[in-house]
Amino acid sequence: MFRNNYDNDSVTFSPQGRIFQVEYAQEAVKQGSVVRNAEELSSYQKKIIPIDSHYGVALAGLASDARVLSNFMKQQSLASRLTYDRPILLSEITHRIGDRAQTNTQHYGKRPYGVGLLIAGVDAKGPHLFEFQPSGVTQEMVACGIGARSQMARTYLERNLEQFAEASREELVKHALRALKESLSQDKELTVDNTSVGVGGVKEDFKLYEGQELSGWLETTFENMNTAPEPEAGESMEVDS
Amino acid sequence: MNHLPQAWGRPRDDIYGAYNHAHLAPSHPTTHTQSPIVTGTSVIALKFRGGVVIAADNLASYGSLALHRREAAEKFNDKAVLGFGGDVSDMQYLDRYLNALAIRENYSSGSGAGEKASSTSTDASEEERAESLDNEGAGTGMAANNLHKYLQKLLYRRRSDFNPLWNHILIAGLSSPPPNAPDASPQPFLKSVDLLGTAFGAPSLATGFGAHLAQPILRRVVPDEEAVKKIDEATAVEAIRECMKVLWYRDARSLDRYSLAVVTKEGVRLSEDERVEGQSWEFAEGIRGYGTQVV
Amino acid sequence: MTSIGTGYDLSNSVFSPDGRNFQVEYAMKAVENGGTAIGIRCKDGVVLALEKLVTSKLLKPGANKRISTVDRNMGVVSAGLTPDGRHFVSRARDEAAQWRSLYKAPIPTAALANRMGSYVQAYTLYSSVRPFGVTAIIGGWDSEVEVPVDGQVGAGPAVGAGGKKEGEKHGGPYLYMIEPSGLYWGYYGAATGKGRQAAKSELEKLDLAAGNLTLEEGVKEAARIIYVAHEDSKDKEFELEMTWVSSLSGPTKGRHEEVPQKLREEAERLAKKSLEGDDDEDDKPEGEKMEE
Repeated sequence: MFRNNYDNDSVTFSPQGRIFQVEYAQEAVKQGSVVRNAEELSSYQKKIIPIDSHYGVALAGLASDARVLSNFMKQQSLASRLTYDRPILLSEITHRIGDRAQTNTQHYGKRPYGVGLLIAGVDAKGPHLFEFQPSGVTQEMVACGIGARSQMARTYLERNLEQFAEASREELVKHALRALKESLSQDKELTVDNTSVGVGGVKEDFKLYEGQELSGWLETTFENMNTAPEPEAGESMEVDS
Repeated sequence: MNHLPQAWGRPRDDIYGAYNHAHLAPSHPTTHTQSPIVTGTSVIALKFRGGVVIAADNLASYGSLALHRREAAEKFNDKAVLGFGGDVSDMQYLDRYLNALAIRENYSSGSGAGEKASSTSTDASEEERAESLDNEGAGTGMAANNLHKYLQKLLYRRRSDFNPLWNHILIAGLSSPPPNAPDASPQPFLKSVDLLGTAFGAPSLATGFGAHLAQPILRRVVPDEEAVKKIDEATAVEAIRECMKVLWYRDARSLDRYSLAVVTKEGVRLSEDERVEGQSWEFAEGIRGYGTQVV
Repeated sequence: MTSIGTGYDLSNSVFSPDGRNFQVEYAMKAVENGGTAIGIRCKDGVVLALEKLVTSKLLKPGANKRISTVDRNMGVVSAGLTPDGRHFVSRARDEAAQWRSLYKAPIPTAALANRMGSYVQAYTLYSSVRPFGVTAIIGGWDSEVEVPVDGQVGAGPAVGAGGKKEGEKHGGPYLYMIEPSGLYWGYYGAATGKGRQAAKSELEKLDLAAGNLTLEEGVKEAARIIYVAHEDSKDKEFELEMTWVSSLSGPTKGRHEEVPQKLREEAERLAKKSLEGDDDEDDKPEGEKMEE
């Protein structure tokens, strides 16, 4: 039933010093869009959650775990405004959920969170993007993709990394959409129904764009795509494991 | 057996006599601070174009006894100074409390090992550094408005627990820029919070006796926010010094030594050994109707 | 590890017949996979340094600091599971704050090491928890001047009963390393993580016990040692993170801070240069290492 004796719970180290339960939780993140169901009677799972006016999160993995974490983040963010009259720092809130997740990996009877998050927005120190993993690892990134087949998206992001610092708001959204497109399986397309975009900026509150609001972006982005195809696309397929 | 549920499990009255409820609870209510003990008197402050000036005298009184000198104004960081009126031991408690806050702030203001705050050139002596009251690390995180909000919540919480910190505090400094204009220059900030958690701001503020004696004078100098933009630092400091003199003349629990701090975007200048200069007690001759004077 | 698979290594707090706690040993394996962390106790301060392997190009360069401040005068660096390291630091900060509220003075580095040792040890005692997957190095400067208790009136007796011991020296640099078992010692030079063997042998060459190394030299040595320790995983990129804490009269004025960028870059330049020199002169030790 189990792969080995050391993967029953998150309080057991393997002889190599690994904690399998935590590693399995990371797998739940890679299942990512399985959570998103496309049956006709239901809508797509919402995967971007605005938390405070200055930031929001995107999730991959167990959506209910993400809800627990995002509720916690909303409480902490409001508390910061209420008691300190200031928006919470993104680094601070990220560390707080990281510390919470760590607790789940060190005590029997708890399980690691099965969700990965991207936390993005602007605070007193400027624009930030953080990645959160079930292990409690949090990292500040320039660009990032998580979830099913996200390696393809990350490959795209790595290839275009130098352009981001100088890119305009519109260009960044296009990069994001192109990166997202990379992660889709061959026969799928980005549509107004299966895509949402969150944007936060200096002097701009974090806002979630959905449905028809996206049609303009989708059209202009993928027109460009056809005229300038990525030649290395086939090559990077093999990178995905 | 008594059928009333209230009596179940209790000794039977017909055998043991009526239960004496005095054993159950103390006959007197739990009490916390009912009045301050060792106190400091007025703190006064005034906004001007680009900053705030704040002053408080250095006396700690035990009733009518002049007990010892005290620190009346305290620098929190480069953007905020606190002036304490009221109980001195509660002030010292708050001082420790804010020091712990500043250490925590330092943890998060840098992403790890405290990024150096923008201004590290303060020439604090070794002892001052060791005391670590100068919370440089909190420079980036906490502006005066953040500190004020925090103290307001703290004092309101304490009064709601019926255990107030017996202080009236003025928070003077610079406020953080609003989120939608991060590059805006920091504005002068002056607000107060008292032992009930009541908080408000004004172009000029005063605690204790100062609220009666100094406030009218200060309002003549700066009647409203418009006037704040028109007066400069020197005028504001002069007005504050004049008020400290009036308080020394008239407030019997005051001292002619005081602390004075000016906060601008250059930082905080705090002097803890100012004196009331140019005294003239001639006005006393004109006072009639009190004491032993007959004519 | 002959007893693997006999079942004594499946739960924390269980001894094997030969008296070992396997889960603690496995936790140390987690430490050995992490980037190298070192600490050097110099005569006028302490340096902490860390090799951070760059796991993705998408990581923001220079962000993601992993050496943390505790109180104002101490730093903690750890190798192993990063989230466990944060847990460790968070507890250390609580201990420091609690000490302050009780004694109205900063916690001495030795006392913090002791408390953290006890805390980590407690995680080896119960089957309901797992040990910490980190080895942490604590470096700090205990103030050498009298720190007044706030609100104190007068200075108290200068010497004799109820006062100070005459000629007693106060404060100074301190360095401790705490392992997953809870074991801790004070060190002149401490190293943990993947490259600890190489780092240790370099630290031993410095003769730190003599107490001649200055803080600035220490910074340069620390950078060099991290570069030497990195030789085994040369193909991977890494970032060097360094912090220091000096006396009140020194460059950090008794506080734990990041080593200024200019000094760090200079130290890295020298480190790279000395490695290149090594390659030319004696390739042999290099080759031996590779074979291991």
